[in-house]
Amino acid sequence: MQAMTNASTFWTAPDEASPPEPSARTTRLAALRQLLAQAEHATRSAGPGPGPGRESAVLPLDLPALRDHLPGHGLARGCLHEMTAASTADTAAAFGFVAALTGAALAARPGPAVLVVARRGLAGHGIPYGHGLRRLGVDVSRLIVVDVRNETDALQALEESLRAEAGLAAVAGVLGRSPDLTASRRLSLAAAASGAPLLLLRPAQVAGASAAATRWRIAALPAGRDAHGTFARWRWAVTLERCRNGRPGHWTFEWDHAAHRLRAAAVLADRALPARPGQAAVRRAR
Amino acid sequence: MRFLRAQARRLSGALADLGIGDDAVDPARPFVLVAPGAGGARITALNQAAAATGLAVGELLANARAQARGLQARDADPAADATALRRLAVWCLRYSPRVMACDEASGGAGIFIDITGCAHLFGGEAALCADLARRLRDFGLAPRLALAGTAGAAWALAHYGHDGTIVSAGGEAAALRDLPPAALRLDDGTLTLLRSLGFRRIGALIDAPRAPFAARFGEAILRRLDQALGRVAEPLAPVLPPPVYRAQAVFADAIVAQDHVLAAARRLLHAVVRDLERDGKGMKRLRLLLFRVDGGVVPIELGLAAPTRDPGHVARLLALRLDRRVDDMETGAGFEAASLDVLAAAPMVEHQAGFTAHGTAARPDGLARLVDRLVQRFGSGAVRRIATRASHIPERAAVLCPAIEAPPGDWTAAPQGERPPLLFDPPELADVVALIPEGPPRQFRWRGQRHTIVHADGPERIAPEWWRRSRGDAEATRDYYIVEDEAGRRFWIYRAGLYGRETVSPRWFVHGVFP
Repeated sequence: MQAMTNASTFWTAPDEASPPEPSARTTRLAALRQLLAQAEHATRSAGPGPGPGRESAVLPLDLPALRDHLPGHGLARGCLHEMTAASTADTAAAFGFVAALTGAALAARPGPAVLVVARRGLAGHGIPYGHGLRRLGVDVSRLIVVDVRNETDALQALEESLRAEAGLAAVAGVLGRSPDLTASRRLSLAAAASGAPLLLLRPAQVAGASAAATRWRIAALPAGRDAHGTFARWRWAVTLERCRNGRPGHWTFEWDHAAHRLRAAAVLADRALPARPGQAAVRRAR
Repeated sequence: MRFLRAQARRLSGALADLGIGDDAVDPARPFVLVAPGAGGARITALNQAAAATGLAVGELLANARAQARGLQARDADPAADATALRRLAVWCLRYSPRVMACDEASGGAGIFIDITGCAHLFGGEAALCADLARRLRDFGLAPRLALAGTAGAAWALAHYGHDGTIVSAGGEAAALRDLPPAALRLDDGTLTLLRSLGFRRIGALIDAPRAPFAARFGEAILRRLDQALGRVAEPLAPVLPPPVYRAQAVFADAIVAQDHVLAAARRLLHAVVRDLERDGKGMKRLRLLLFRVDGGVVPIELGLAAPTRDPGHVARLLALRLDRRVDDMETGAGFEAASLDVLAAAPMVEHQAGFTAHGTAARPDGLARLVDRLVQRFGSGAVRRIATRASHIPERAAVLCPAIEAPPGDWTAAPQGERPPLLFDPPELADVVALIPEGPPRQFRWRGQRHTIVHADGPERIAPEWWRRSRGDAEATRDYYIVEDEAGRRFWIYRAGLYGRETVSPRWFVHGVFP
């Protein structure tokens, strides 16, 4: 039943995502939200949207630190998730994080994934490299890479992929400009119809309103090294800036080269914010 | 086999009549094309107005000017002629899927149309010939047509027989008997020799014993004779690759609107799909030819990611393509005919659109359809898969190639070392400071920014592939380091060339960025 929580959240207003009260009311609120979600789902998604009868509406991330921050304890499928690099220089790091999440989505479900790259999105950062993506857990043989010239084409390619009945495991996009509210709403509607998570990496500018279910900010951190001093774990400073029906937070995640999976860094694990931070507090924490 | 030879005498001049090439020419007045020849410029082609004044091909331009007042002359452009002939040949595809265009070198500008099994679509051979002749005349050409069982006989009759001759199967020898040896497409030397030996008719050649001929003239003359009589096959290169399956339609009225073109394409698709179903095949590559009223042809070619028999899917792809081409498509006065050619078909099994594990309405060919649609929208170069290659050189080990080719890659043999998810292609030059030339880097300047290296992992040495010999740094031994700068960002940089053995001043490159 919890799986349904996220299904509802499409049409809720953007500012509804403020964190819940840290009291006993939380549980009641959660229950009410679920009720609301069910009601909304019943009216809204007659199509093959996320709902009962599906294998799982969330992508389990196996990150205990995130459990209580994301509704359904994972990355909601059929939703738009926005990732931003903290600065232009962090684009490669953010791309790596998106790749790792895409890899997790590919591992969790059969079916191919589509990566749409707008020319401006990765300009100056290189081109996707198969063996490197594979090191981040992406099953490259199931990946389709679409290179498009401009943002309009990128949005079109993303929507086309989501609307295709191709049983996609994930759709990822690297954009050169943040989509406006209309575009992001279109995308999240298409994502809802497809049931695949849509991961969007947008440039490091201040974005306007968006229909994204979650919004993340990612910065590079010095890599973790093993006992011999060689690099063993890529590290990211990950901020969950906004999450509908969830709580923002800030963590350090790392890619474990040996275990081949994403996990919370041991040293700084679970540096979640106090239960009720303002947006300003999030920035300061970063 | 039935070959129709369309021989357009004065083709170049007639094409000039159409205004091809030069708008300043007045087609009503004498007009000739000239090329340098013995004694000065000589006429190579002329229009009807020029012929009416008594001019002929081969005359000197200076004499011609004296003979015809207000003569317009232009330099002959064989390349443009060949292009025009090809265009005309493509237009002739509306009569048959196999059309061959012949340039001057292979016996005069003209077109062979293999109408085997096509004539009944146009009401019989005579009706087809009449229709073709009328249309060519409408284009302003002066065609001579001949229909025979072999290309050689058709050529001979078109050049030396009566216009519009139709020879029934097996009648070639009788039809050719009275024609001069020149009708066999022989070179001038041979013809002079034959004339001096007293051979004035092909009949004499047919009757003469073969062995002395072969000894005296070589094989060429007998081969041409045998080709004309159908004893040996004559390979001819079609102007466009012939299709495996084909459906075509002629419209009562010219169509212009995109919707109408699509509706016509859909009808043709349904017709082709019936044949494909019978044979258990799906189309992989197809071509839609739209024949304009004025003789132009608009070809639209499609490649498909997986064999398909779904007319709706292909029609949608065609619609996407038409959307993209809507600006540069010349509809002219509209299309009067269309043909749908399946160029490649592959065996295909029908899948049941069933239920999948995760409940979405996933079709088994869903991905292929998605790839097709993306390809039509963004071009086949934009939709790619990552393929792995057996190479240690990083940029060769994984390449992006068109998804439509779908190369099976074996990713199990991937390299063990760390690789960045983003690679620079080509690698970018960097200024590196290292304590010793063969040691790890300490500092580097790249894109105008200085990075102090906090930690460097490496080197991972990658030797050049000696079997690919070429000059330059690309083939030097590379020492790769993963370096982390003080801002916590990691780069993949390499030194090209072994210090002391391959170079004295190794250059450094940034090849990728790690997360």
